[in-house]
Amino acid sequence: MIPELGNFALYIAFAFSILLSIFPAIGLKQNNTRLMAMAPNLTIGLFVFTLFSFACLAYAFLTDDFTVVNVAQNSNSLLPIHYKFAASFGSHEGSFLLWLLMQSGWSFAVAIFSKGLPVDMRTRVLTVLGWISVGFYAYIIISSNPFERTLPYFPIDGRDLNPLLQDIGMIIHPPLLYMGYVGLSIAFAFAIAALLSGNLDSTWAKWSRPWTAAAWAFLTLGLTIGSWWAYSELGWGGWWFWDPVENAAFMPWLVATALLHSLAVSEKRNAFKSWTVFLAIAAFSLSLLGTFLVRSGVIVSVHAFATDPERGVFILVLLTLVIGGSLLLYSLKAGNIKSFGKFSVFSRESMLWSNNVLLVAATMVVLMGTLLPLVHKQIGLGTISIGEPFFNQMFTYLIVPFALLLGIAPLVRWKQDKLNNFIAKPLVVIAISLTLSLTWLFAEFDEIKPLALLGATLFIWIMLFTALELKQTLNKVSFSKLPLSHFSMVLGHIGIAFILAGVGLTSQYSVERDVKMNIGDSAELKGYEFTFEQINNIKGPNYEGWAAEIYITKQNKFVAELHAEKRFYPVQRNTMTEAAIDAGFFRDIYISLGERLPDGAWALRIYVKPYIRWIWLGGIIVALGGFLTLFDRRYRNKKALAKG
Amino acid sequence: MTTKKFNFRLVPLILFVLLLAVLLKGLFSDPRERDSALIGKAFPQFQLPDLYDDSKQHTEKTLLNEAVLINVWGTWCITCKYELPYLAKLANEYDVKIVGLYYDQNYAPEFGQFADIPAIRVEVKDMLARLGNPYQYNILDLDRSLSLNLGVTGAPETFLVDANGIIRMHHMGDVNERIWREKLAPIWNEINQ
Amino acid sequence: MKKLTVLFSLMFFVCVANATEDQITFKSEQQKSTYLELTAELRCPKCQNQNIADSNAVVAKDMRVKVKALLDEGQDKEQVIQYMINRYGQFAHYQPPLNVATSLLWLMPIGFILFAVVLQVKRSKSKNDVNVSETGAVQLDSGQLDRELELLLESNTLDGSSVDNSSKDNKQ
Repeated sequence: MIPELGNFALYIAFAFSILLSIFPAIGLKQNNTRLMAMAPNLTIGLFVFTLFSFACLAYAFLTDDFTVVNVAQNSNSLLPIHYKFAASFGSHEGSFLLWLLMQSGWSFAVAIFSKGLPVDMRTRVLTVLGWISVGFYAYIIISSNPFERTLPYFPIDGRDLNPLLQDIGMIIHPPLLYMGYVGLSIAFAFAIAALLSGNLDSTWAKWSRPWTAAAWAFLTLGLTIGSWWAYSELGWGGWWFWDPVENAAFMPWLVATALLHSLAVSEKRNAFKSWTVFLAIAAFSLSLLGTFLVRSGVIVSVHAFATDPERGVFILVLLTLVIGGSLLLYSLKAGNIKSFGKFSVFSRESMLWSNNVLLVAATMVVLMGTLLPLVHKQIGLGTISIGEPFFNQMFTYLIVPFALLLGIAPLVRWKQDKLNNFIAKPLVVIAISLTLSLTWLFAEFDEIKPLALLGATLFIWIMLFTALELKQTLNKVSFSKLPLSHFSMVLGHIGIAFILAGVGLTSQYSVERDVKMNIGDSAELKGYEFTFEQINNIKGPNYEGWAAEIYITKQNKFVAELHAEKRFYPVQRNTMTEAAIDAGFFRDIYISLGERLPDGAWALRIYVKPYIRWIWLGGIIVALGGFLTLFDRRYRNKKALAKG
Repeated sequence: MTTKKFNFRLVPLILFVLLLAVLLKGLFSDPRERDSALIGKAFPQFQLPDLYDDSKQHTEKTLLNEAVLINVWGTWCITCKYELPYLAKLANEYDVKIVGLYYDQNYAPEFGQFADIPAIRVEVKDMLARLGNPYQYNILDLDRSLSLNLGVTGAPETFLVDANGIIRMHHMGDVNERIWREKLAPIWNEINQ
Repeated sequence: MKKLTVLFSLMFFVCVANATEDQITFKSEQQKSTYLELTAELRCPKCQNQNIADSNAVVAKDMRVKVKALLDEGQDKEQVIQYMINRYGQFAHYQPPLNVATSLLWLMPIGFILFAVVLQVKRSKSKNDVNVSETGAVQLDSGQLDRELELLLESNTLDGSSVDNSSKDNKQ
């Protein structure tokens, strides 16, 4: 019964999306305020019914209703309850319903919080969101219905959730990521609405900025958590693999980061407007492209959902309509956009332009690297792989100018500045940065590795310049009067600095050892002594396996006692390595238990990974910066928004 | 200049349309299918024992003078079980010469793992008796060294080698009616003319 | 300090009877790092998308063993990569080969950056007259950080777009 209700609610939501996409638009055309006023209410309806539908699906999972195909295939009565909930968005169908929930949730938020917007603008934005929704709801109802029944022959128990997904990361990572992906549709809707109305002034940028910042912050957090999850769950200590699906999430982030900066220029200086509109379209388009890649089976990836071509065709049609339509609109209308702000080669605008150019170039690297193998094969040149060596090399080149400019840019004045003011300071700062980072690496590690030095130097460079900028600003304004969005910038930049240092140091100084251990054996790595104390048989709710206890000391002082597991999940016939991690601000110790060797000893892989936490710490700081923008009075004050 | 009139804002749209074409084509092709590096090359040198008889050695020269299918398989491999009856049909009805390359998964002396050859022989005999025996003989590639030289990723895989010992086709996955008809038979007929 | 660590670990080794065997014994640190690089750059041909270091597939294990054996024979990194490519195709290496199609990987981003730089220089040249007021607002005066700060402080003056602010700045 409950699944039918959920299904029914989904159909009603679909109906709401159709109404939303038609009537307010007619209202706009006929200047009928009553029809226009329907938009917020329809949006609220859309959200409420989607929420109800999702709740029904979650209920089916929590109550082990194996008459629902989706539940039977992705859950099991023995699965712990929080994973049962997570399993409701563990499959293609369920995750798409989550996507719709997010989509309607964002639209709902726009309907609620944009009362300050002119009515026609708000109507246009909601209508555009309605158009997108129609496509998505049609897709889920026609080809990916999560409520399909197994009746009359339903199984006694379910096939269980993929063990990889049985992790706390699964509960928080997909919702965050989707919040980000889908949130970008709001910036997209604002851009399309502005193009349609032909009214693109700087107030448009002001309206769309907080929404973009929020979506971007969620995306940042989603990516960060995803990376941490891969690290803690996959069992080989990696945190980023340039897998097509990771890339699919990374591209919208890169473009959204560019968008955030270009919106600032559009808002404050009335410049870059046509470019900003393009970025807003591109960011959401890349989210959609990512969805297509993950769900269509076009690309071989470790993350991809089970797929069938019919679904792929459907999403491709959606892509064509949404992306093709908006790019067409852009090519026709963007020529009318006039940017008034003028600036010289050396100015804040130029700096932000460079930021955008580098971010878009980085996006191109990722996009080409992800899709070229497909093209290469199709034009008959054979199968190739593009992975870590290529991406790492390209990103190393791109990050240097990016990080150097990132340090200086906040100090450069809008419109025009004197280049002469920016010769001495950077030279001094780079000298200090180099000295400090050399000292740092020399004190801590055996040798100086160039890429680690690069990461550390850029870290200090950004930190010093950020401090300098903050000091200069605080000389003029008191701390309490400084707008929150300024702190957003500071946090964003510091976060990037931490990520750079983390990546540089951990990639260069991580060490590992593959060892063979019997009980009582011990191994040494980077000054740590690992003693294999015992190995026990374990039994969990839906798995069994082995757990090794490893005692770690450094210079005969206790460091940690770690518990590494090897689990076998009988329902999915899957073996999982549950790595044991001793996390630290300066280093992680990471142990994964391998297989039992014929002579009774155990294979173990031990890693010491310096500064790896800085990567996620940085990501969280960046995301905090994004969320902070939302509390800026400028964007919260209705009067200001209305007036703008 | 005509380019002066060109609307640069059309560039993203054009690129997107190109991308669509690629994605559409991608939807209808198998992402895992890939070309082999061995096609057109000579069958690698090897010297390996017969599966049933240690004293009998096979080399690449035993394969010469006649077109042959080399089928990589193992009793542990589930897909191979579905493939065996069809291969047997090929061998019996179409007189295709098929040689088995037995791929054992366990043997790894570096890790102290050895294979139980008598047990394998029993399993093989049992399985071939049940599902049909397409093989003229089986080569035992215990350490998978020949398989590595052939670029074998697992089982089942099939190589088509001509009378001069040149590899003409390398198919990954099972051989079934469709694969035989579309991928292997054309070459087979060409070299046997 | 370092010496002390070594000393301690030596002592420890003496105390603990059974020191552990590595699963793979490397001839040198150099060999170990080459091995780690190679196993990270070579792709497991059987798996979804994993390098041979992280995969447990039989073929990945065989390839790891082979990499070690080839390094022991004295082959260098490039030779080992070529060895695997000869057998498993270009697919087995995560670095794409350079050809007309793959050159786009490098040329497109570089081309875009160059294009953007030229565009910007051209644009700022044609609009060299930055000092001319826009929408009747201000000249760029000697005014230090004030303007920027004022822009930044828009939030304190809730009523304004940037242009309004600039005029305020002028009045000050």
